[in-house]
This record gives sequence, C-alpha cells and structure tokens, in this order.
Amino acid sequence: MTHGFAVDRAFVTVSLKRRLAYKTQWIVALVLGGGAMLVSMALWRNLLSGGALSGYDWDSMRAYIIIGFVTGTLVFGAADWYIADRILDGHVAIDLTKPVDFQRARAAEYVGSMISTVPTVVVGVIGAWLLFDPPGPVSATAGVLTVLSLLLVFPLAFGITYLSILVCFWTKRYLGIMWLREALLGFFSGMMIPLAFMPSWLQAVAWALPFPHFTATPAAIYLGHVDTAGALGLLAAEAAWGVGMWIGARLVFRHAVKKVTVHGG
Amino acid sequence: MPILEARSLTKTFRRPDKASGFKGALKHLAQRKYKNYTAVDGIDLTVEAGESVAYVGPNGAGKSTTVKLLTGILKPTEGTVRVMGRDPHTERIANAHDIGVLFGQRTQLWWDLPVEESLKLLKHMYGVSDADYKARIAKFDELLDLGEFMPALARTLSLGQRMRADLACALIHDPKMVYLDEPTIGLDISVKDRLRAFLRELVDDGTTLLLTSHDLADIEEVCERIVVIDKGKVAYDGPIAQLKAHYITTKAVNLHLEGPADVPALTEKFPDFAWAAGASPSEVTVTYESARFSTAEVLGSLTARLSPRDLSLSEPSIEDVIRRLYAGELTQ
Repeated sequence: MTHGFAVDRAFVTVSLKRRLAYKTQWIVALVLGGGAMLVSMALWRNLLSGGALSGYDWDSMRAYIIIGFVTGTLVFGAADWYIADRILDGHVAIDLTKPVDFQRARAAEYVGSMISTVPTVVVGVIGAWLLFDPPGPVSATAGVLTVLSLLLVFPLAFGITYLSILVCFWTKRYLGIMWLREALLGFFSGMMIPLAFMPSWLQAVAWALPFPHFTATPAAIYLGHVDTAGALGLLAAEAAWGVGMWIGARLVFRHAVKKVTVHGG
Repeated sequence: MPILEARSLTKTFRRPDKASGFKGALKHLAQRKYKNYTAVDGIDLTVEAGESVAYVGPNGAGKSTTVKLLTGILKPTEGTVRVMGRDPHTERIANAHDIGVLFGQRTQLWWDLPVEESLKLLKHMYGVSDADYKARIAKFDELLDLGEFMPALARTLSLGQRMRADLACALIHDPKMVYLDEPTIGLDISVKDRLRAFLRELVDDGTTLLLTSHDLADIEEVCERIVVIDKGKVAYDGPIAQLKAHYITTKAVNLHLEGPADVPALTEKFPDFAWAAGASPSEVTVTYESARFSTAEVLGSLTARLSPRDLSLSEPSIEDVIRRLYAGELTQ
C-alpha cells in the first residue's frame, strides 16, 4: 500500500512539474480565467440590477460565479489531452509495459495537473473577494459541506474526463469528444447559467446526469438552497457518481485495451 | 522451463478497405468495409533464460507486433504466450515488473522534464531501493555516459543521448527479460558501438535479450541466435554461427590485373572457380567453394599464374544470407 501511494505521489509530482514547465501557458490561464469571471460578474450585475431572478439576487450570484470559477478552472485547466495524446500517438504502448495500474496512474497525473490550477484559483478567488465582496456560506456546516463537495469534484472530473479519453481507443480522434464533453459540462453543470434558469424538464435532465455536481451542488449548499439533509443527499449522489464512474471506467478499459493497434516500431 | 514460450501466436488487425480519392472517402463513409490483415501468423518461439536472440525480418514482417504481443501490450488473436510462466496480457502488471522494454521509435522519457525526473519516476514504479538506484545509475554513467545529460530536458537531447537514456529507463529495475525494438535506429557509428558493447555486457551478465534490428551488425555483435520472420511466419530459427556455416559456403577474391580481364579464358584456365567481370575492365572476381579449397591454395595458384597488380578477399556477409532468406531463395 505504501509503495502504491509513493508511486501515486511520484505521478502527481511529475504531472505537476510538467504543467509548471510552461510558465507562459500558466500565466495566460490565470489572466483568461480571471477575465472570464470579470465578464460574468459584469453581465449578471446588469441582469440582476432590477432584482432577483429565479431565486438569485446579485449577492448570491456573486458567490455562485466564484464557485463556478473555482470548479471551471480546476476542471478545464487539467491537462486531459496529455493522456489522450498518448493513446492517439501510440505511446500508450509504453505505458502498458509499466508495472502500474493504468487508471490509477492516469488519475494521479490528472490530480497533478489539477493541482497546477490551484494558484490560479487562489489568486482569482482572493481578487474576486476583494473586488466583489461576496457573501459567506449560510452556515459553518454549509461551508464545510461546500468544501467537501469541491473536493469530490476531483474524482468526478477525472471519471468524466478519463471515460471520454478512453473513447479515443475507438474513435482515434479526441478533439470532438473533448468539445462535446466541455459543452455538456459547461451547460448542465450550471457554470454558464444556474440550472434554476432552465425549464423544469431540462433541470430534471441535468440532475439525472453527473454534471450539476460541478457547480450547482456546491453553490446550492453554500447559498443554503438546500438544508443539511439535502446537502448530504447531494454529496452522496456526487460521491456515488465518482465511484460509479471509477468502476465503469475499469470495465470500459478492459475492452478499450483490446483495441490498441500500435503499428510499426 | 523456458523464460519465454509462444505457441501458434497470431495477431490479426482489421483495416479499413477504402478506395482512394474523394469518391472512395464518401463511399467508405456510407458503407464501411474492412479487411483483415494478419501481422503475426502462427509463430512458435521458445527462449531459454540467458539467451540473446535476434528477431529480424523485412519491414512489415511482424517484428514489432510480435514484441507487443510478448510484452502484453497486444492481446493475441490466437495462440498463447507465457513469459516466466505468466500470460503477459492478462497478468500485465506482474509481467511488467520482470521485463524491460525499449522501442527505438518511441521514447519513455517525459519530454518536458529532465532525464533524471523520468528515471526517478521509474524508480518509484518498480520499487527500486535508493542503494540499487544509485548503483545502477553509476553503472549506466560509466557505460553510457548518462551523467552528462541527466539534468537536461528530454526534448533537448540528441538522438544518441535520447536512446542511451531510454536504455537506462528500460534497465533501471534490472529486468530478467529485455526486449529491444530497434535500439540503434538513426544512431551514428560511435554511439552504435557503445550501445552494442553495453548490450554485450548485459548478455554476459545473464540477462535474456530479444533484439529486433535492421542493422545486422547489432545482431552479429550481440546475439547468438537468430530468428528470421517474413510475412508473419518464422523463416529461420537457429544459431547465427550455424546460419553462417550452412549458407556461407563460398569465398571470393577480387583481382586487379595488369591488363583487361578475359573472363571466358580465365574460366577455361581455372575451371574449378567461378569468374565474373569486375567494376573495371581489368578487375575480375573469382569465387570458390571454401570446403574444397583453402584460401592459401587459391591465392597461391592465382598469384603464380596471373601476377595480379592487387587483390582482396571477400566473404559473403550474414546480410547477404538474410537478404536471400527474405527473398525466399533459402529455406531452413
């Protein structure tokens, strides 16, 4: 077990170092992420100037946008294409000759690349707090449960990303899959607009999917749109999606690995 | 028990059957057709511990596919593989602990990090102790001059440095069985020499080696046994020395005469030898059976009766033999 964690830590470290090797890219992500949040703030300030819409006033929307910024930066900033590229260019052959669980190693790499986005999150959140002074969580319990929900975003994001990457074994292309995943995630998570603004049938569709747990769940807990029991229910659902996708990905990988067709040297 | 045993090993790939041009692309989009392509066709291979085996064949013969089947990357369509008693595909992780793999055309270094970082990650993966890691790095440094580029980013290495670093990656855990797929591809002569010397040392230390290469000097200098495959089937399997003894039965002398060489007259004068015109009118090549005549006898006779201006000896190389094996001119 100790050896397993040492390997995980080594993968996390290498992945993090790889991301930090490209300083310009990191700075651009910081500027773009912060810029997108500022645009969003300006837009919603105007929209909500006349009063609350679908249960969101300017106060709660400020907190909502910051939560969306945090999860969006973590998820969209993680380097999923590193893994996809290795499948597409045949380097997966080398990965398969290593004495490590393929999925666990990729999860560790994903965590490493996600960690590289933490400074962006920290700088962005501090900046947003100073500029917009959003309200705090409705209670200490809500605050703790929000943090827990944000932590559960890690396995959830990996599950969705890894499953979509495994599709490359069949499609031999990744770009379209990535666009589709990001579009679904951006829309159904509530990152673009809160789910409360959607018609009820579309909200039902969204909540039947794992995506709302990226933004709608932590935001609902933080803003007190659900009570403690409701929050625990949402966290249980979020955790169940994470576990379910981990197991599902293992089953998919068993079939995917039979599709490896690395020709030539 | 053999360290590696493959029986009726077969791998068939499905390839799109698509006509060329825009029309072909549209037709394939509407009605997809595929053809099966057998890359490895019923190969039987047994390797004993400590053997050094060259696995050669022309491009597309199925060499790399075989290596991927033996290392567990690919699942055979038919047949079985056992490496140290394990199925390398279904018991991939356990098998990976005991093997070292190098694909000359694919690096296992992390492109944007120093070489040292890749080696450290591998140290963790294989659970190599600090003491063993230090000792092996010191040995690689001594034999491959690894130290000079350990702190360098992998993407800044020359091809020779990259290959030496990849070799260190493949061997950092002291594997029992090593697969090297074209380890000298694209390297200059001096780097090739160093790599070959390193591989000879590896074999002398008792590591089992399966080497694929288009460079037959790699094979002659490192391996004792050769397996030639063509169109996915084994064309020859045996000791290199036996291959030479069996197929290299003639020797040749190239003569540079004082005047023009008259091949018919020479054939009449020396009927036991085969004569052929050389590169210039005064050059001629005489071929003789090495079992019937000693080189001294032949040279003595030729110099006494022809007084050549210059002469040189040549022997068909293993390359010629393998070329003829590829061409189907020779059978085992």
